[in-house]
Amino acid sequence: MSLFDRNFYDFIVHPSPGDPASITGIAMQAKKYGYAGIALVNTPLPENDTKNIPPDFSIYQAAGISCKPAKLRSEIQKYGNKTDIIIVRGGDELLNRAAVETPGLDILLQPEQFNHVHAKLARDRSITIGFDVGSIIRNRGDSRIRELTTMRRNLIYVRKYDLPAILTANATTCYDLRAPREMAALCGLFGMTQKEAADAMSTAPFEIIRKKTPDYIQNGIEVL
Amino acid sequence: MKTLPVLRDKKRYIAFEVTPGQQIKRRNLEKEILDSAGSLFGDTGLSEMNPRLISYNGRYGIIRCNRALTEETRAALACINISGGIRLSLHVLGISGTIKGATEKFIQKMLIKEPESGNK
Repeated sequence: MSLFDRNFYDFIVHPSPGDPASITGIAMQAKKYGYAGIALVNTPLPENDTKNIPPDFSIYQAAGISCKPAKLRSEIQKYGNKTDIIIVRGGDELLNRAAVETPGLDILLQPEQFNHVHAKLARDRSITIGFDVGSIIRNRGDSRIRELTTMRRNLIYVRKYDLPAILTANATTCYDLRAPREMAALCGLFGMTQKEAADAMSTAPFEIIRKKTPDYIQNGIEVL
Repeated sequence: MKTLPVLRDKKRYIAFEVTPGQQIKRRNLEKEILDSAGSLFGDTGLSEMNPRLISYNGRYGIIRCNRALTEETRAALACINISGGIRLSLHVLGISGTIKGATEKFIQKMLIKEPESGNK
């Protein structure tokens, strides 16, 4: 079996607001590239438009939270039961600390000043670290160098503390999506191996979804 | 004078598909590929990678590159996102050792598949 012969997911998709065609466009393109599901961030799924979405393609709901570190706890609790996935875009040390200390968070996306204290806390709460591959695609020059440095740094913590990682193209239109093999090639730029990249697109997202199912009790415990 | 076979550059041919809103001209695509690879790997990287657009018909195309740097070329192709104000994305269909292989295995296969999906 090939490394790229499984179900891939992209969990952070921001379709442009007020344009329902963009959701179906992204879904069709993702299906063509070999994805099995996407998650829409802060966008409700339009009810009358579901017939255009290809069958056996799953669309999840996610909440992207951006606020002050002090407010983070209440914001996460507010979205706790409403959505499938909760995402916080990482930033400075204070924000990262507040995010990894709050129960209920699923993905910490591209934290900039990530350190070993955050990494240990994230491991205890099984928080996934997100790598924003879209920032490599869209930026040029200075900003891209910064993003690559951040990702290289974060990868060291992911390997050392055995954290789950997730890749996302952070797409807003169907032109921002990339096929899984392309994503793996882009991850090679900051030192990620093909196997790690394939796991980050298939196993890690699947684990997040599995945790949200009603059957799931706790890590390592299952009902027989 | 011909180069000895053992001293020839070892090449790979990458078959790709463009997903544009409008038609992209060959000249513009060529410029974008060099631009993207140049900004990602610099002049030395580009001289080693040696990417060349072999053929392109508005939708499908073939790029030649160094055998050792196929993954890097793939990354450079994935970084292309806009050309002259038109959004586009490149999708690699497959990699082959010969132009014939790339055309037969990947591009013709896509062309055969298409009319069927159009009828459905």
